[in-house]
Amino acid sequence: MKGWMGKVLNVDLGSGAVTTTPLDMDMATQFIGGRGLGARLLWDLVGPEVEPFSPDNVLIFAAGPLTATGYQTSNRFSVSTKSPLTGTVLDANSGGWWGMHFKRAGYDAMIVRGRAEKPVYIEIKEDGVTIHDASHLWGRTVSETSEALGQDKNKRSVLCIGPAGENRVLFAAIMNDATRAAARGGPGAVMGSKNLKAIVVEGKTRVEMDDKERFRFVQYESTKMLKANPVTSQAFPEFGTSVVMNIINAIGALPTRNFQQSYFEHADDISGETITEDILIKNTACWACPIACTRLTKTSKGEGEGPEYESAWSFGAACGIHDLEAITNTNYICNDLGMDTISAGSTIACAMELTERGLLDSDLRFGRADLLEQTVEDIGYRRGLGDELAEGSARLAAKYGAPELSMSVKKLEMPAYDPRGMQGQGLLFATSNRGGCHMRGNMLGSEVLGLPKLIDRLQVQGKAGYVILHQHSAAVLDSIVACKFANIAIAEEYFARALTALTGVSYPTGDLIKAGERIWNLERLYNLREGFTRDDDNLPPRLLNEPATGGSEGQVSHLGPMLEEYYRARGWDANGVPKRAKLEDLGLAELALEVV
Amino acid sequence: MVDERVYEMFREIGRDMYVHNLVSSHGGNISVRFGDRIIIKRRGAMLGRLKPHDLIETGLEKNDSGVALASTELIVHRAIYKATPALAVVHAHPRRAISLSLSRDEIIPIDNEGSYLLKKIPVVEVEFASGTPQMANTIADALRTYKIVMMRGHGSFATGQTLDEAFQWTDALEEVCEIIMYAHAMNEQMIEYRKHSDSYKNW
Repeated sequence: MKGWMGKVLNVDLGSGAVTTTPLDMDMATQFIGGRGLGARLLWDLVGPEVEPFSPDNVLIFAAGPLTATGYQTSNRFSVSTKSPLTGTVLDANSGGWWGMHFKRAGYDAMIVRGRAEKPVYIEIKEDGVTIHDASHLWGRTVSETSEALGQDKNKRSVLCIGPAGENRVLFAAIMNDATRAAARGGPGAVMGSKNLKAIVVEGKTRVEMDDKERFRFVQYESTKMLKANPVTSQAFPEFGTSVVMNIINAIGALPTRNFQQSYFEHADDISGETITEDILIKNTACWACPIACTRLTKTSKGEGEGPEYESAWSFGAACGIHDLEAITNTNYICNDLGMDTISAGSTIACAMELTERGLLDSDLRFGRADLLEQTVEDIGYRRGLGDELAEGSARLAAKYGAPELSMSVKKLEMPAYDPRGMQGQGLLFATSNRGGCHMRGNMLGSEVLGLPKLIDRLQVQGKAGYVILHQHSAAVLDSIVACKFANIAIAEEYFARALTALTGVSYPTGDLIKAGERIWNLERLYNLREGFTRDDDNLPPRLLNEPATGGSEGQVSHLGPMLEEYYRARGWDANGVPKRAKLEDLGLAELALEVV
Repeated sequence: MVDERVYEMFREIGRDMYVHNLVSSHGGNISVRFGDRIIIKRRGAMLGRLKPHDLIETGLEKNDSGVALASTELIVHRAIYKATPALAVVHAHPRRAISLSLSRDEIIPIDNEGSYLLKKIPVVEVEFASGTPQMANTIADALRTYKIVMMRGHGSFATGQTLDEAFQWTDALEEVCEIIMYAHAMNEQMIEYRKHSDSYKNW
């Protein structure tokens, strides 16, 4: 079979052993690669007895069959582990160049086990893998580390953690190519716990294709889709992902001041239009990406990347702040220390509300832009109050007696879409396997942008079906691996045809989506094995009880009926446990029947 | 109880199908999947004049009293939902497409819009082409790979996330076929303007 490289790299940091094993091709065809392959390997390797910071936890870096082929956005890879923030199955996903170089070094995946005695970094080349001392790099920022290790996107990619990962900030990111982040759920903290500072890759081996001519035709047709779609051909390149800021705000779904409101009166100040007008130097792109949504920006303090939509929101509307300069500088710092901007900003917003309610003694208040940069630095280095914020909003709010003020699901902070104004999005957050997240499926297309067709964002009946489809589709994208933004224009049908032409394995669209369902159910089973229950498929009470404002005035989330429909539609029982028939249908019965 | 917004969607798509000559007065049927339930047009109801009581709810897998009222093609709709990620199905009797299906095993658009949207529409054939398990399985299997297929001499089945989307493929198919017929009737040498046009056959 083509498309896959056929090899898995195993690195044991405890013993220093480096081995290569063949990729299990049955596993690969069923779970594809990236997130799916990661979840399947994690199922075997990390059981409920393993703590996230135990040497027995693993980090799985996985490319997909599409990675490095040149297909649109085929630059991505995923990192799978047990999350220290949520305790759930986790994969975080990143673009850039590292994934392409990693696969071209000859591997589909790498499993990192154990813990090094002292800081190390791994160097992967086609002629060998070496573990080097990294003591001189420990404590250095992402940009410093990337430069020291010779970051050159065209031939040598550096993936590393910053001080936040070393200090085990629970939402620390793994950064690659200096500014790309695999951030959600804290994989950087797991990397820090292993004393692993960086992984450097160089590779030039081309991916073999089963039917190159057919693959290139699918790619050609996909190009038409990207060019014809105004989101991918105009809005994202010109304004970045923040182009949706004003759109989301207008419908009353922009969470504001820790979700106390869903309309931000200063949204335009942090919008894509303002970013382009005031601070943009130019837009840039990951490898093989024609969309180019990345923002290269400048402020009075320097140049950097971002903010993209979620970051502009988390340090902006979520904190009641509309000082774009402060938001952008904070985003730079967050990237350089290696942290998830969504969790960082949302945790600060939580602290602001705790303070304003008199539950926390701090200077943090909504609108205090002057404190943003220092607060984020304090989190990364775990200084003062930053040490408490580094635990995330759920632990922070619980500690100060108001757990309901954490705007999180399964302890993962929710992103910039208010479930009261987008009913399906609420169900999506509540059921996401890695916690409150918009990248395990996103209703933005269906409920707001009309992609492929607009559905009523406030409708409840039938929403489960859309959510499930988007969840499966996202699992596929994360496994093949391609960017969700390509999927805005390119339908699943095209990815299925590209995968079939690439691998020689027949993937009709329906079967590919079913692979996404298999991955989703395995992740669910993983969480059930960890002790998660139906009670964890929930939203903060504020969203169920306190009415939204602005364009969604008076709305609350109707999670209950949607969740019931969701379980039924999935073939799960009323407790959210997959039924035996579902496991048999997905080929998971032999693997996981004891869990149900 | 079917949400009023769902009825509105059925009413508008059904009316448009009739107005666009995609069905005769009592022909065709449409459905959506809501979780483990299907909402489908009532048997014998007129797509162009759907009333709220013309929307019948029944199980995706399990029968209930709804099956006594549902469209005769319920079996096909169920098979499609079980075999594909579709959330909506549109079945029409587009006259030009039916005509072309009588002489072709696949319909390959020659116009730009049709090439862009559909690439290729396969034509499938079964002995008993209405409401049979054989037909249901054949259609559902083809829709695993294509978003719209033609049953020879009978009509089209299209899938989508919404009725709107499945209707779009259906209407686009009929436009494709109309253009093919016009071009054929003109009997002039066609100037190929599409790069890689031969590759559509392999779609």
